[in-house]
Amino acid sequence: MPTTGSDAGRQPVTFPQYLLYNARRFANRPATRHKNLGIWQSWTWKEQCDEIRAFSIGLQELGIGEGDKVAIIGTNRPRLYWTFCAAQALKAIPVPVYADAVAEEMAYVLNHADVRLAVVQDQEQVDKILSFSDDIPVLKDVIYDETRGLRDYDHTHLHGFDSIQDKGRAAMAADPTRAEAWDYGINASDGDEVSVYLYTSGTTGRSKGVVLKANASVKAACDTAAFDHLSENDNVLAYLPLAWAGDHYLNYAQGYVSGLCMACPESPETVQHDLREIGPTFYFAPPRVFEQLLTRVMIRMEDAGRLKQWVFKHYLDVAKKYGEAILERRSVPIGGRLSYWLGDKLVYGPLKNTLGFSNIRTAYTAGEAIGPDLFSFFRALGINLKQLYGQTEAFLYVTAQKDGEIRADTVGKAVPDVEIRISDDGEVLFKSPGMFIGYYADDEKTRETFTDDGFIKTGDAGIFDSHGDLKIIDRAKDVGKLRNGSLFAPKYIENKLKFFPNIKEAVAFGDQQDFCTVMLNIDLAAVGNWAERNNISYASYQELAGMPAVYEMMREHVDQVNRDLAGEDMMAGSQIARFLVLHKELDADDGELTRTQKVRRGFIADRYGPLIQALYDGSSEKHVETEVTFEDGRKGSISATVRIKDMQTRTNADATMEAAE
Amino acid sequence: MNRHIDPGSMRTDDGIEKGGLLLQVDNISLSFGGVKAITDVSFDIRKGEIRAIIGPNGAGKTSMLNVINGFYHPQEGTITFRGERRDQMKPHQAVGQGIARTFQNVALFSGMSTLDNIMAGRAVMMKKNIVWQLLWHGPALNEEIQHRARVEQIIDFLEIQHIRRVAVGKLPYGLQKRVELGRALAMEPSLLLLDEPMAGMNLEEKEDMCRFILDVNQQFGTTIALIEHDMGVVMDLSDRVMVLDYGKKIADGTPDDVRGNQDVIDAYLGVPH
Amino acid sequence: MDLLNNLFIKPFQDMVSAPDFLMQVIWEGLVSGVLYALIALGFVLIYKSSRIFNFAQGIMVVFAALTLVGLHERGVPALLAVPLTLLVMFILAAAIERIVLRPLVNQPDIILFMATIGITLFLIGFGELIFGGENKVMITEDLMIPTGSYVFEPFGGFVLIEQKDLTAVVGAILLVLVLLLFLNRSKMGRAIRALGDDHQAALSVGISLSTIWVLVWFIAGIIALATGIVWGARAGVSFALEVIAFKALPVLMLGGLESVTGAIVGGLAIGVLEKLFEIYWGQPLLGGNTETWFAFVFALIVLLFRPQGLFGEKIIERV
Repeated sequence: MPTTGSDAGRQPVTFPQYLLYNARRFANRPATRHKNLGIWQSWTWKEQCDEIRAFSIGLQELGIGEGDKVAIIGTNRPRLYWTFCAAQALKAIPVPVYADAVAEEMAYVLNHADVRLAVVQDQEQVDKILSFSDDIPVLKDVIYDETRGLRDYDHTHLHGFDSIQDKGRAAMAADPTRAEAWDYGINASDGDEVSVYLYTSGTTGRSKGVVLKANASVKAACDTAAFDHLSENDNVLAYLPLAWAGDHYLNYAQGYVSGLCMACPESPETVQHDLREIGPTFYFAPPRVFEQLLTRVMIRMEDAGRLKQWVFKHYLDVAKKYGEAILERRSVPIGGRLSYWLGDKLVYGPLKNTLGFSNIRTAYTAGEAIGPDLFSFFRALGINLKQLYGQTEAFLYVTAQKDGEIRADTVGKAVPDVEIRISDDGEVLFKSPGMFIGYYADDEKTRETFTDDGFIKTGDAGIFDSHGDLKIIDRAKDVGKLRNGSLFAPKYIENKLKFFPNIKEAVAFGDQQDFCTVMLNIDLAAVGNWAERNNISYASYQELAGMPAVYEMMREHVDQVNRDLAGEDMMAGSQIARFLVLHKELDADDGELTRTQKVRRGFIADRYGPLIQALYDGSSEKHVETEVTFEDGRKGSISATVRIKDMQTRTNADATMEAAE
Repeated sequence: MNRHIDPGSMRTDDGIEKGGLLLQVDNISLSFGGVKAITDVSFDIRKGEIRAIIGPNGAGKTSMLNVINGFYHPQEGTITFRGERRDQMKPHQAVGQGIARTFQNVALFSGMSTLDNIMAGRAVMMKKNIVWQLLWHGPALNEEIQHRARVEQIIDFLEIQHIRRVAVGKLPYGLQKRVELGRALAMEPSLLLLDEPMAGMNLEEKEDMCRFILDVNQQFGTTIALIEHDMGVVMDLSDRVMVLDYGKKIADGTPDDVRGNQDVIDAYLGVPH
Repeated sequence: MDLLNNLFIKPFQDMVSAPDFLMQVIWEGLVSGVLYALIALGFVLIYKSSRIFNFAQGIMVVFAALTLVGLHERGVPALLAVPLTLLVMFILAAAIERIVLRPLVNQPDIILFMATIGITLFLIGFGELIFGGENKVMITEDLMIPTGSYVFEPFGGFVLIEQKDLTAVVGAILLVLVLLLFLNRSKMGRAIRALGDDHQAALSVGISLSTIWVLVWFIAGIIALATGIVWGARAGVSFALEVIAFKALPVLMLGGLESVTGAIVGGLAIGVLEKLFEIYWGQPLLGGNTETWFAFVFALIVLLFRPQGLFGEKIIERV
């Protein structure tokens, strides 16, 4: 008799144990859905368990066992999610890898993690792996999900997902004890094994493999599932990169412990449509997704008829006035309630329906600061959008906002069982139930990350506000000082700029300089729409970005930020003295952004050195040539003359005057 | 339940071995009121190959395609398809015999959705009684469902799920071309004619289209004849290439043969005759 | 003041004070409307599938009615005369395709329009030659169309509904339903729509141009026969019937040349509105007889605001 696991009448401590548990307690409830050939297919927990068992035993037949690393590469597809559990059932370690990583990045991770087997989505990933597999001797086999185009490949070490499942089923048929032994093996675990390696996307340098333990991961997932009251009645759509800790946590970890139903989109392009069909109850998206949604709604409304526009604007104002109060069950005058109810019928309801948000009970955003207006917009519509602060190393939540205690500029309080401390130099430190045990094969980095008393350094600078909520200001190492001694928090300034819909990205400079400067990227959708409405024609991003009218628009935005900064004691010194609008969009393919679309500051500083120099040497324009990578991988270069504008700094009086207006 | 596609189920079977003669064109001449569009051209298409017809503008490539699918009737010469010599034939008869095509300037039902356009390609195969069709019931409904399932496989194959319900008139050009290819595939043709499938596309779209053409050829075993103006793409794609210039055949062979042929080089450089 | 009163107040007072009469007027309007809709449908079908504005639609109504009555006069039993007339309409459709349309394929639209004028003139001559030019009476009873009437007494007044009108409306509704089913569900019906959308594309999916053309002209013939029977029963069968085809023009302007729904809704709307206008505004203010022009004026006003008609397809093209 197993000593742990639900069979022993105890709480499961690994995800495979939860699989067996759910296959009994939720046998006929849907576990996974996937839209294929235009129809939603679904698997119950019991069916899913059978699929995973067959695959897992098939893996055993391939020689996979305890400690072997299994890479998982592709978009959100049921079979790839099943692979996690199938590997964990054998105490093998799944290692999800970003599907859009170029061959070189992928080779690095697979090599570093000593991957023995890769389970991938399609021909594209197989080709990538074959291009470097000779350099990774440990990597023996590749299993693919979609057959297409792979028919004529050499199948000695390449296998279809089906064929492995067939192997597993054949093995079970030949030896009836195999299935039992598999279940027994799962239940025998005390949860102390490694559950997964999650490679961080790496804001700086190479990615690191975060090692997580099974029982700790389960504990963390149980805590937050309880915090948000997740149950088998919840639905989610898995659409974020499978290799990202957030997706793994929200859809796999929380999904297994609560028994909710996870849906996989038909293709990455159909997510918006699938979202509407599924109507998830729990939803997570980084701020930029909410931003894109808002931009799209606004653009569509600008093209609508006048009556429609008026109704939309009117009820949006109503929502702004009463929406959040109603959501938080505060008192609202009866007239307000009535207007809001009408608005819900006319505007918010249909809008939420098109966005796929009709059934949302809890929505989270994290990863970056979210603009207060943006945040309020969605809350005013009656969507319970909250912020959380998490880290792969914490797996995953550090803080989260409690229902009814929502503030746009904080990330809430520590979630249950998490301890937070702010170090003397302002860095946020924490201890959490799911926290990692180290970086794989990188003891030095591991040592750097832990404090002597076992806390983890987040690398983020933060403060507690008057409510006791955590407020993240910037990356700790990015916070610097101007030569005159004023505090310089680049992210803080950049975020203020990015809250303007017309600004897509901003990069601030100023550490060890005399004053603060920024480079801006305009938002092509928003500014392009503005140009169209004003009959301004443009052929490219570059042309639009260089227009005097656009510069004037940016100047106003920067001035507004300066006024804001002037009103804050700590930040008043780092007002923006000069800015430029960059001649190309920052792009992950050029290495300027991470795969999660975060700015890689150091890289940009190197790449645009001449422009930064020009920002500080007083010149009014600068000619530059920049190498770019096209989507197909070819390289080219674009050149431009970028203009630089001077700004006026504001005083505290300007800020207060504005507040009084 | 069949959750995953079996591409083999869509392979066409017309009783001809791979590599066997599918279409033979002998001494075709075509003229419009004294203007000779094609002069005495002979060539063949073998089962399972990708056959390209290339040539400078006005070389008679599209005319040749129109002859094969019955839009034009040549004054001289014979055409033998699947071993049968055929007489004057109309386009819809060519479709009935298993020849599908796409057009240089996409010809789609622009008011209909992607799905309906591709479904239209199945229309030829709807066989059930008109009474059943009107009642929307019984055998006709089953037939409809089967056709829809096939169409969904094609949609999946061409990766156009996201535009399933979008009216094709609103789609960008590259996607329209893909839908048109989908409609031709829906006819499960034994010979697929593509008229400049890559015209007007950017590099990325061209690469996508190349991949689709190769995959169609491999997965479904469809024989493909395509016309291209641009030599580069075709050379990587085709098994055999025929070159036309001023309505005459000037070369025919593997891409390497053709590439080195002096007449071809001259034709493309515009050396006067 | 008086004028304003007569224009905007009095008519509505009249409507409210005699609701039974209002119902009678609306019913009469609906009956004509059904006929307008039928004829408009004939135009729409042919236009949709071949871009031809069929000038001959009106004369086809006369020709069908004449054939039916003529056959009966020559001793063919009425219930046999109907299928025989349909056969004649089919032969006519096939002949038009073979002799007129096929040779003119790919000619400009205006040439084809002229050709339909030719067809009109031919049918007038041919019809007179065979059936003679004098007026005839529709064989209503022989077709077993009831001729009695029902009387209702709502609101203390009364409304009279003639059985032959009721038959006409029910018959027309059935015809339209079958037609809609045919267009939306059958392979042929879809082919008709496909052909209307893009010729080349239709050919390339294996649709045969000639088959479809014969088919739509035949359907137009069936509609013509139905219209001929109904209208003939009210007004007699003569070449003057041709003019009711012109009644379809404002309907087409309103509904759009390509919309089946437009033809139906437009037809009904014009039928009802022109009756209402005649009774409540036309007769008291303008001395009556407004039905001849009201529909055109109304359609023109609508076109000022919606050039594509009420149901016209707004095709967005991207280059």
